Amino acid sequence: MAIQIVMDRTGDTRHRFDAGDRAAVEEAKKRFMELTGDGFTAAVRTAPGEQRVIRSFDPAAEETLFYPRLVGG
Amino acid sequence: MNLDTAMATRMFALPMIAMALFLLVWCLTGLTALGEFRRARHARGHSIFEPESSVRGLMLLKNWLSPAQLRCYERHGYFEVIGSDSGTTYRIQYGKQANVEQLDNAGRPVCAWCFVPEGDLVAGDVMLAQKIALETNERAAIAIAIKYATLRTRRLTRAGPDLLAS
Repeated sequence: MAIQIVMDRTGDTRHRFDAGDRAAVEEAKKRFMELTGDGFTAAVRTAPGEQRVIRSFDPAAEETLFYPRLVGG
Repeated sequence: MNLDTAMATRMFALPMIAMALFLLVWCLTGLTALGEFRRARHARGHSIFEPESSVRGLMLLKNWLSPAQLRCYERHGYFEVIGSDSGTTYRIQYGKQANVEQLDNAGRPVCAWCFVPEGDLVAGDVMLAQKIALETNERAAIAIAIKYATLRTRRLTRAGPDLLAS
């Protein structure tokens, strides 16, 4: 099972999907597009403590994290 | 003591005794609950009063930290990251704003930066977003950050790209 984790006021919201299920992958891709379109940054873990930012949906990513646009505080 | 006096004394004493008993039970219940709170807090490793969202945020953060960063965070309440563009070391303290210190080569704080994800996110989420931003696109993060002289003190200026070199 792959997972998309979206940071929010509850801590995070998690969306799990079967990477072998075409419809579920399409839904995950749609979610990816919507979130990144809204300014979220998507990152996937590449090793413990290491990550890379992705600009397009990666259906092979086991865990994708989304955080909102950064602003100066 | 006549009958009226005895009756009046009894009518006064009985409510007082009942009230004293009620207060005793109330105090004992409170002390028991406090003990339970303390036991629960130690068992979970988090404050019993800490909202679940904060705990979730910290769990997410810990899952994404490197083993060394996690050890440092567990021990000191902060962890360090290396900026992806300049190689500068930043110390991310527990917190939601102005919690990122820039360190010099000797590990001394040079200044502090404030940049956070939009929305009212919990500290763990904020710290994780700061870590990812600095480790993957330091220049962009610093470009939008506000610079402080030191942690949680006087604000200096809004950063420009040239500040990366400082």
